[in-house]
Amino acid sequence: MIIYRYDGSFEGFLCAVAACREEGGNQPEFVRDRDDYAVGLFAADVREVLSVRETAMAFRKLFVGIASQDAFAVARYAFHSQKPGIEELLWKYLKLGLEVGPNLARMLAQEPVHTVNRIARQVSHEAHKFKGFVRFSEVAEGFLYARIEPQADVLPLIASHFTERVGDRPWMIHDIRRSQAALCDLKSWRLVKDIELVAEPGVSANEQQFAGLWQRYFQRLAIAERHNPELQQKHVPLRYRKHLTEFNSTSKPFEQEAI
Amino acid sequence: MFSLPLEQRLEILADSAKYDVSCSSSGSNRAGKAGMLGSTASSGICHTWTADGRCISLLKILLTNACIYDCAYCLNRRSNDIPRAAFTPDEVVELTVNFYRRNYIEGLFLSTGVIRSADYTMEQVVAVVRRLREVEGFNGYIHLKLVPGADPLLIAQAGRYADRVSINIELPSRQSLALLAPDKPREAVITPMRQVSGLIVESKAARKSTQLIVGATPESDREIITLTEGLYRRLELKRVYYSAFVPVSSDNRLPMLPTPPLLREHRLYQADWLLRFYGFSAHELLDENRPNLDMRFDPKSDWALRHLELFPVEVNRAEYEVLLRVPGIGVRSAQRIVQARRGTRLGEIELKKLGVVLKRARYFLTAGGRYLGGITLDGPRLVERLLAPARRPARLDQLELFAAMPDVSAMTGEL
Repeated sequence: MIIYRYDGSFEGFLCAVAACREEGGNQPEFVRDRDDYAVGLFAADVREVLSVRETAMAFRKLFVGIASQDAFAVARYAFHSQKPGIEELLWKYLKLGLEVGPNLARMLAQEPVHTVNRIARQVSHEAHKFKGFVRFSEVAEGFLYARIEPQADVLPLIASHFTERVGDRPWMIHDIRRSQAALCDLKSWRLVKDIELVAEPGVSANEQQFAGLWQRYFQRLAIAERHNPELQQKHVPLRYRKHLTEFNSTSKPFEQEAI
Repeated sequence: MFSLPLEQRLEILADSAKYDVSCSSSGSNRAGKAGMLGSTASSGICHTWTADGRCISLLKILLTNACIYDCAYCLNRRSNDIPRAAFTPDEVVELTVNFYRRNYIEGLFLSTGVIRSADYTMEQVVAVVRRLREVEGFNGYIHLKLVPGADPLLIAQAGRYADRVSINIELPSRQSLALLAPDKPREAVITPMRQVSGLIVESKAARKSTQLIVGATPESDREIITLTEGLYRRLELKRVYYSAFVPVSSDNRLPMLPTPPLLREHRLYQADWLLRFYGFSAHELLDENRPNLDMRFDPKSDWALRHLELFPVEVNRAEYEVLLRVPGIGVRSAQRIVQARRGTRLGEIELKKLGVVLKRARYFLTAGGRYLGGITLDGPRLVERLLAPARRPARLDQLELFAAMPDVSAMTGEL
C-alpha cells in the first residue's frame, strides 16, 4: 500500500491523485502533511507529493473533459469538508468519473457518487450561509477584519464572493479554527496559512456606533406576536452565533419613551 | 421628527417597517465593479434571522413613518398615537453603506409614509437611491416601495435605480380597500405596477412584488389566489407576499383575532409556490364549492386526494411534470429522480438515497411496478394516513419554505 502525503490543499490533492494514477495505484491512502501521526509506525511506502499548479490544472482539464464541469465542482466542494477519509472516497469518485464519463452525474443513487454528492451539498450549504454570516469590523483606517469558525473549510469557497463585493477596502477573513486567513488587497485575494493574532485588533472610532445600531435594529425587527426562537435556531445554530455582531449585544434594547 | 438621536429614529422607523414581509434579495445577478462597493447574487443571501424566525437580508426601514393616510390595518395611519420620526437621505445612505460594508445586509429596502403629497414623497425616496448609486457608487441590492399616485416619471426613475420595486395592494378586494383604506383608490396601486411592467419589457429595470394582508378582511383563499395568479400572469410580478394580519390597532373596522392566522398564511404560500414552480392553476386548487384551502393538508396533497384516479405513478417512467404533482416531491427531488433514473432503476432504497422524502409521496408512487404505499389507494384511508402521524406543529413546518439554499434556489423556488 502506498501513502501519498500532500500539503492539504485541493491543488495538492489533485497532484497526489495524478501521481497515483501514473503509478497505477489501486488502493492509495492520502495524508496531509500537517497530521504526521496519520503515517503510523507501520507505514509502508510514503510518497511526498509536491503541489504543482500545472499538474493540478492538467488533471482538472482531463477530468472535466471526460466527466463534466459539475462533477468536478462536486469533488472540490466535498474535498473542503475535510472529513476523515474524504480523500479515499474522492479517489474512487474521480477514478469512476474517468471511466464512465458524463454518466457520473446520473449515478446519484449509487456509491460513491451518492455520498460524495451529499457531502458536497453540506459544504455548499455552509459556504452559502457564510456569505451571509461573515461580519466585518473596521479596524485601523478602513481595513476590514472578520473572524469565522465554520465546520468545513469554506473560506477558499467564499473568498472570491467577497473580493467582488467589497472592492473599495482591503479586508481579511480569518478562520480561527484552521489558523488561516483570506487576504484581499482590493484586487485579488490569497490564502495565508498559520495565522495567529498576537493582540485583539483595535477597532475604528465608528465601529462601536454601527455595531450598536445594527444590534438595536436586529432586536427591534422581530415581531413579538410571531415569536419563534426554535425556527431562529434552525437557521442560525448556536455554534455560529459567537462571531455574529447581532447576537453579542452588550447594550440593552432601547426603551421607547413617550414623545 | 429629526430631533431624536439617530439610534432612536432607527428603532422607530424599523418598528414601522417590520410588518412588511418582503425581504428577498434574489433575482439580480450583478458582478462587483473594481474599486466599488457591492454586488448581487441571483440566489439572494440571508444574513441573519430574527427571534421570530424571519430572515434579514435587506436593511428594511421607512424614510419617515409620518403619513397623511389613515388606513385601518396600518400601524402608521394618521390617527394612530405613535412616535413619529424621519431620516434625512444622507442618514439612510450612511447606514446602508456602513451596514453593507460590514456584511450585515444584502442591500436596502426603503419604504415610506406619505408626507405632503405622493410626488413629494416619491422624490425623497428617489433622492436616496440616486445618491447611493451615483455618488456612493453603491452596487448592492435595492428594493423600493412605490408611492401610489406618484408621477409616472418619478416611478420610471425609481424603476431604473432599483433591483425591485413594489406597491402593497394589501387588501384583496375593492370593497375591503374602500372600507379600510378609504384614501387609497385601487387604481392608484395597480397603475404604477402596470407602468413598471412596461419598463421591464423595454429595459432591464426592476422586478416587482406586492403584499396582501390575510385575515383582516373577509376574502376567501380563492379570491386571494386568483388575484395572485392574475398578478403573476398579467402584471408579471416576481413575488406576491402574504402577511398574516397582526392587530396593530383596535380600530373597530377590523376583526379581533387572538393570534395572527399563521397557518393560513403558510397554506397560501404553499399554494403560491404551486402556481409558480409546479405548473398548477388557481382553478385547480380552489373553486366555487371549495373557496378555502384545507388547513389540514398542504394544497398539493389536497389536490391529489381529489384526483386519486391519476395515481399511483411509476417513478421510473412518469414525466417530470407529473412527478412535480406528487405530494411530497419538490422541484429538487423531481430533478434528481429524472437524472438518476437514466443511470439505474429506482426502487425505494434508491429514492431514499436521492433524498426523496417518502412520507407522503409513497402513497402516490410505484417503483418498478411495486406500489410503495402498502395500503389500498382509497380516499378516506389515505386521508387518515396522511393525517395520522403526529405532525410537527404547524409553526415549525411553516417556514421550511424559506430555507436558504445555494445557488439553484432561484430555479427551484426554495428560499
